[in-house]
Amino acid sequence: MSDRRIGVYICHCGGNISDYVDVERVREAVQNEPGVVVARTAMFTCSDATQQEIVQDIKERNLDGLVVASCSPKLHLFTFRNAARRAGLNPYQYTQVNIREQCSWTHTDDRDGATEKAIRLIRAGIARTILTEPLEPIIIDTVPKVLVAGGGIAGLRAAIGMADIGISVFLIEKSPAVGGWIGRLEKMYPHGRNGRQLIDKLVDEVKKRENITLFTNAELVEKSGNIGDFNVKIRVSGQGDKKDDITANVGSIIIATGFDSYQPGAGEYGYGIDGVITLPEFKELLDSSDGIPARNGKAIKDVVYIYCVGSRQQPDRENPNLYCSRYCCNAAVHASLLLAEKNPKSHQYHLFRDVRTYGRYELLYSQSREAGSTYLRFGEDDPPAVERCSGGKIKVTVKDLLTFGEEVEIKADIVVLVTGMVPRKNGELVDVLKLPVGRDRFFNEIHPKLRPVETVVDGVFICGACQGPKNSAESVASALAAVTQSASILKKGYVELDPLMASVNPQLCDWCDECVKVCPYSAIEKGEEQGKEVARINKTGCKGCGGCVPVCPREAIDLKGYTDAQIKSMIDGFLKETF
Amino acid sequence: MLVNPDFVDEVKRSEEFNASACMNCGVCTAVCPMGIELLPRKLFRYVLLGIKDRVLENVETIYSCLLCRMCEANCPAKVRIAENVRTLRYYINKKVFKL
Repeated sequence: MSDRRIGVYICHCGGNISDYVDVERVREAVQNEPGVVVARTAMFTCSDATQQEIVQDIKERNLDGLVVASCSPKLHLFTFRNAARRAGLNPYQYTQVNIREQCSWTHTDDRDGATEKAIRLIRAGIARTILTEPLEPIIIDTVPKVLVAGGGIAGLRAAIGMADIGISVFLIEKSPAVGGWIGRLEKMYPHGRNGRQLIDKLVDEVKKRENITLFTNAELVEKSGNIGDFNVKIRVSGQGDKKDDITANVGSIIIATGFDSYQPGAGEYGYGIDGVITLPEFKELLDSSDGIPARNGKAIKDVVYIYCVGSRQQPDRENPNLYCSRYCCNAAVHASLLLAEKNPKSHQYHLFRDVRTYGRYELLYSQSREAGSTYLRFGEDDPPAVERCSGGKIKVTVKDLLTFGEEVEIKADIVVLVTGMVPRKNGELVDVLKLPVGRDRFFNEIHPKLRPVETVVDGVFICGACQGPKNSAESVASALAAVTQSASILKKGYVELDPLMASVNPQLCDWCDECVKVCPYSAIEKGEEQGKEVARINKTGCKGCGGCVPVCPREAIDLKGYTDAQIKSMIDGFLKETF
Repeated sequence: MLVNPDFVDEVKRSEEFNASACMNCGVCTAVCPMGIELLPRKLFRYVLLGIKDRVLENVETIYSCLLCRMCEANCPAKVRIAENVRTLRYYINKKVFKL
């Protein structure tokens, strides 16, 4: 028997659990487990009322352990840890048992089986809780400095934002000059602002701030340490093969490495034929023409745009880009307005799949139609054909769904492929930071709605188009979001880390270094204890993955919160009444 | 069908022709008391795209419109349909019938 006093709460989740698990039967089965002094069910355990009841039980019945059987700990681990804390119970003496995602939702065809499984899962949770001990979070002082990687509009704006909060900034840019894509643009939608001037203004602001250090031709090549206290190595390329490594100590890292423009393959919508160009190439042509834009000395009059090139690709392709690149409809429509302005005699034909000039950019679409652009819609399985034809013209044939499916031929001076955004190739950075990328190969945030700039690597933030297609306004908005999140750690001055990490028993350890080899975070080093060489865990480096525990030949390493004894007792809990 | 980029300019030049707001919804065709399927949705599309042949093939239809403005009153994009039909007739009078 146990002298622990544990409270167990089993959640209906409004039917999500109780439709498939007999919650009352589960309660009866676990209420007499050793250590359990109270077992209740609740419609929604996460509701304020039930949390209040839990807090009251902990106080009145003097509970020293808490088990909630509900959803995934991803959802409510912190909810109930905080409830425990409010009641004066150490939050690490709480165990969440997942009987929704891992039980009721997966066994909707087997009510008895699901109920039986829930009982066993909870028994294991109780067994773990019996062996919990109070733990305190590890407090790390944060370094009031930040590294911003990428000197495009997002990176520059983030650097200025951090500097203004009073945090020193190392801003690194891979290429010889900052400015990125925006720095190469003249008029931009929707207000006609000049991209180059916007960047010049930002660069002026950067220069005014003494606490920003800018490195160009620079790359991040090494990163160690943890949130609040990273050590980074920046490699700066000089003249010839000369390379200098600079090390810096920073509290957080903001990644703003941007995107690449989709490069069409040879022959894709006629790419390779003289006069078939991408949208960035067309924009450059427009920006560089003072009068009527011309190609090969001939004024550009008849233009065909083909939309969604490199975006929304068919799933049966190899590595398809399934996403919409979001900026290109607006950018192409805007480019057509620029041409209409420069050459009012032009005729422009937009071959689209869907026009996504969302929000206020819809006005651009109306303007372009008034300015004489005609829109033709093609089906995704019936793309337009582009061929060379006589007189330097390019013939585009398309079945236009808006002209009742009739086949239409247009002879154009140029064909603009409205190319989308693709993730920038920066495999080394991914390796250095161990940042996860999505199926679309852009960097992944933790939560697309609620934690849009944080990554699974604590203290590393992402913003701008490295995260997915964004226009410049959206990139800057996310850059400032990254500034806020970054500053919220650095201005507090410290971060709290979970104490669920490995610990070494120096009496048993005889420094064979087996654990060092398996640690993926390089968080184990040689230490000394009473004149004896032993393994020492670096508390800021250890993530509590447990990889070192089973390889130790002396069983000298234990994972706090998940000790060998706890795991064994959980297995016994699972198997009770089976053997 | 070959697009003739200059056709729309010819039509526009003769007088005010403006159907660029048309989004092809087809309300005009649905409410037409003459039940003319071509007018005005398809017709305007041909004009805007510059498919001259299709317009000239349908001269009879263009003249059978009553100009009752039922379509115009119901057009969600506020296209001045009757005005556009008149403009087209003006163009055809000049170019086809040489009036």
